[in-house]
Amino acid sequence: MSWLRRLFHKRLTEKRLDTELRFHLEQRVRDFVASGMDPEEARRRAYLAFGGLEQVKQDCREARIENHIQDFLRDLQYALRSLAKDRRFALIAIFALALGIGATTAMFSVIYNVVFDPFPYRDFQRSIVFEMRDLASTGDKGEGLRDHYTIPEFLAIREQNHVFEDIVGNYQLDVLYADGKGTRRFLGGYTTSNGFDFLGVPPILGRVFSPQDVKQGAPLVFMMNYRLWQTEFNGDPKILGKTFFLNGKPRTLVGIMPQRFNGYGSSLWFPLGLHPGADGTSFPVRDPNVIWALARLKRGVSLQAAANDLDAIMHRLAQANPGGLYPQRFGVVTRTLLDFVVGDFKSTLYALLAAVFLLLLIACSNVGNLLLARATVREREIAVRASLGASRGRLIRQLLVESFALAAAACVAGCLFAYFGLKGLVAIIPRGPIPEETVIGLNPVVLLFALAIAVLTTLICGLAPALHAVRGNLQLGMTNSGKGAGGGFRHGKLRASLVIAEVALSIVLLTGAGLLMRSFFTLTHVDLGFNPERLLYTRIVPAVDDRYDTAVKKKLFFEQILQRVKAVPGVINATVSLSMPPLGGAGSYITVPGKTHTERWESMVDLCSEGYFQTLGLQLLRGRLLSETDVDSARHVAVVNQVFARAYFASEEPLGQKIKFDVFDELPETPHNAYFEVVGVVTDFRNRGLVEPPAREAFLPHSITGFGHRVILAKAAVDANALRASVQREIWAVDSNAAVADSRSVKDLLAEEAYTQPQFGLITIGAFAGIGLALVLIGIFSVMAYTVALQTHEIGVRMALGAQRGNVLKMVLGKGLRLISAGILIGVLASLGLTRFLEGQLSGVSATDPLTFFAVVTLFLAVGLLASLLPARRAAGIDPLLALRYE
Amino acid sequence: MEQEKTEVLKGTLDMLILKVVAFGPIHGYAISQRMQQISRDFFQVPEGSLYPALYRLEDRGLLQAKWEETETGREAKFYSLTRAGRKRLSAEMVNWERMSEAVALILRTVE
Repeated sequence: MSWLRRLFHKRLTEKRLDTELRFHLEQRVRDFVASGMDPEEARRRAYLAFGGLEQVKQDCREARIENHIQDFLRDLQYALRSLAKDRRFALIAIFALALGIGATTAMFSVIYNVVFDPFPYRDFQRSIVFEMRDLASTGDKGEGLRDHYTIPEFLAIREQNHVFEDIVGNYQLDVLYADGKGTRRFLGGYTTSNGFDFLGVPPILGRVFSPQDVKQGAPLVFMMNYRLWQTEFNGDPKILGKTFFLNGKPRTLVGIMPQRFNGYGSSLWFPLGLHPGADGTSFPVRDPNVIWALARLKRGVSLQAAANDLDAIMHRLAQANPGGLYPQRFGVVTRTLLDFVVGDFKSTLYALLAAVFLLLLIACSNVGNLLLARATVREREIAVRASLGASRGRLIRQLLVESFALAAAACVAGCLFAYFGLKGLVAIIPRGPIPEETVIGLNPVVLLFALAIAVLTTLICGLAPALHAVRGNLQLGMTNSGKGAGGGFRHGKLRASLVIAEVALSIVLLTGAGLLMRSFFTLTHVDLGFNPERLLYTRIVPAVDDRYDTAVKKKLFFEQILQRVKAVPGVINATVSLSMPPLGGAGSYITVPGKTHTERWESMVDLCSEGYFQTLGLQLLRGRLLSETDVDSARHVAVVNQVFARAYFASEEPLGQKIKFDVFDELPETPHNAYFEVVGVVTDFRNRGLVEPPAREAFLPHSITGFGHRVILAKAAVDANALRASVQREIWAVDSNAAVADSRSVKDLLAEEAYTQPQFGLITIGAFAGIGLALVLIGIFSVMAYTVALQTHEIGVRMALGAQRGNVLKMVLGKGLRLISAGILIGVLASLGLTRFLEGQLSGVSATDPLTFFAVVTLFLAVGLLASLLPARRAAGIDPLLALRYE
Repeated sequence: MEQEKTEVLKGTLDMLILKVVAFGPIHGYAISQRMQQISRDFFQVPEGSLYPALYRLEDRGLLQAKWEETETGREAKFYSLTRAGRKRLSAEMVNWERMSEAVALILRTVE
């Protein structure tokens, strides 16, 4: 008979138990009688030997599982009844817990989906990328790192390694597509033909690449991602098999990938053959280290072992081909694909998870406190139950079931909160550091986590009050009035420490939020050194054929565009540039004649036209700016920024100094071995993002080279984004084969690239801290109100003996303040220790910023006073006569 | 002496019950009688321990029970071993033998 059946046939089960035991007794009696005993005596002896029949029955029942379930159900019923009686308490407790559980669940599902299950790819845990690190370089901000390889390097790695199951080579390029109306630019990628089998995601239409596609003379093919298919071709399945002109060559579309696929980060993919002369293997630079590699480790191979293997291969290559590609001393570092994509954002997420756990703890202490207060009121009830024979374990179970009922209800409500909270989180989460194929949502694992949290919560917030309630002499509770001063006193200490803990936890949360807020404020108010207002950038990809490959042709093309853009109504000024601020131009080592120095000198280089300085609003400090003639005749002159002048010509006159930019010697269509004369010095501006201080930079006429892409920066009198369409039109008017790769206001660029991640952290932790503060407010208020209620008698006596209202007010407020101050002290100390884990998320503000700490403490004192004021006023309003008569 | 006997019983009662039941279907009273007989009156299993143990073993699927008539024509609950019970019994017996050997070894050791 299964326990389930027994659960429903309880009467029968009971009868059978009785029959069995009676049978035993009768057998014994019969045996006694058979041995010559008097029947009456035999019965007496048998019963005596058996012990208590009821006790044995109870023990038998307890040996069975269904009885535990039954007890649990009975406890649950009881708990629900008693919670329903105290509805306000139940609702507050459930609400507080639901906030905690909901926030934790939402945060956990973000982390689960981003960190543990971000990719739909086969064995992505074993997928790695690797990079060469110059050991002489500091290595921060990507300096001295190389994660792109030449084709011979890639082939050597593929042939000689002992650690990879498979390896894919890939490089990205602009793909121009003329659709009749104009030329569009998409991000494309050349991928070795194993690239799609490697990731193991089947196409939704057509096929993936095969080795046949890269054979000599094979027809040119390509694949497309889902988003491009939807946005540009309305998801029309008939385009499969059609031929498109891409970068001037006809290619047949053979496959379309599903929505949840973002391999190699491109919209279009071309198959990459690596044999000499294959499609896509000629590059305009001398050291075409363009191939980015993704590899899958063999089972059981560690990251370190792979790094060692690659290290040996790269050093062999370096020995065979000494020169610019290989630094003097270098090593190979391996990283998992996940680390490569998610990277530092993981630490933001973990910081937020820690924050949300603090919030959960606050919620738990809050509910624990409420339960304690309830337990005090119920002291009498518990004592009655104990005297009626309930064991301590039974009573604890009963109380735990009650908190479980609360937690279960909160779990359901919390999942609802999490569902809506997640929608909010997904809306503000920065897309940059999150893999595009990641889907964030509730799933079974996350819900299981929520359930586990609920059980944990039950134990955290229910166990202490339950143990406390059955502690000591239970009978004592009977003699007490149940609401007497004695009872209140006994529970006072635990309750006070819970409030102190709550305040301390909340201080830690608020300090974290405060620091992030300060840091975000600093970030958004950083002095850029240039004026980003109403500044539009437009990155242009000229036609792919050799139309603009010489300096003269390229200059003519861009000067034409520039003239037209300047004439657009609403444009105040415009310039050609290599980069869009606050991201600077290219980097180069430099040579200055007559200078001896041990370390290599370097500088950033931007290529621009004469309008650059006005467009950005840079100030001239010495000499002159670039002139129209400089640009027209491609003169070898340079304007440098202040840090450049200070670093390299500290004590001398910078004007008239000559500089050679070594990077030009390696590029085609650039003046080799050319020295540029410094003609002016301008003010610094942020050219390495918002956080880094300005780097040394030189500005040269763009007309000196035909190499590289160009950007048009336009200063507008109106909203910059409103000019996008007109600028696009002007570009197509010059050449309909040129495409706009990217066009936005610099403000939008800043918002998207620099602000979203800190903003996400700030909003999330800010919300947690806000909820935490509200919970603490409730916590302090309820404890103070409760204390006042318990002390009504005492206050009445005091007032009868002559205490003034003011005294009483002061007494209650003082008590509240003492609790809060203790919490604040502990919280501040804890914060000092903990906020350094936030250091990575902060910029421009120290992790122990005194102003933030001061503000948080002040806020807390205000909130604490507010929460104690109401109960204090109630205490002061007590009528001594009434208070004493009640007793 | 009575106290000591019960002490010995506590850890091994389940195993002894399984062993006795292993001979064939048997009811509770007979189990206690049989145990007393075989152990030459050493073990007297109190009913307060026997029945909860039987219920526990049944609950864990080591014993199965059937209501049948006895020779005297009365309804009684007869216990027998399940497959899991048989497995458990042999495992416990091996364990027990090892342990008692070990205990004997230690006790025999001359100081």
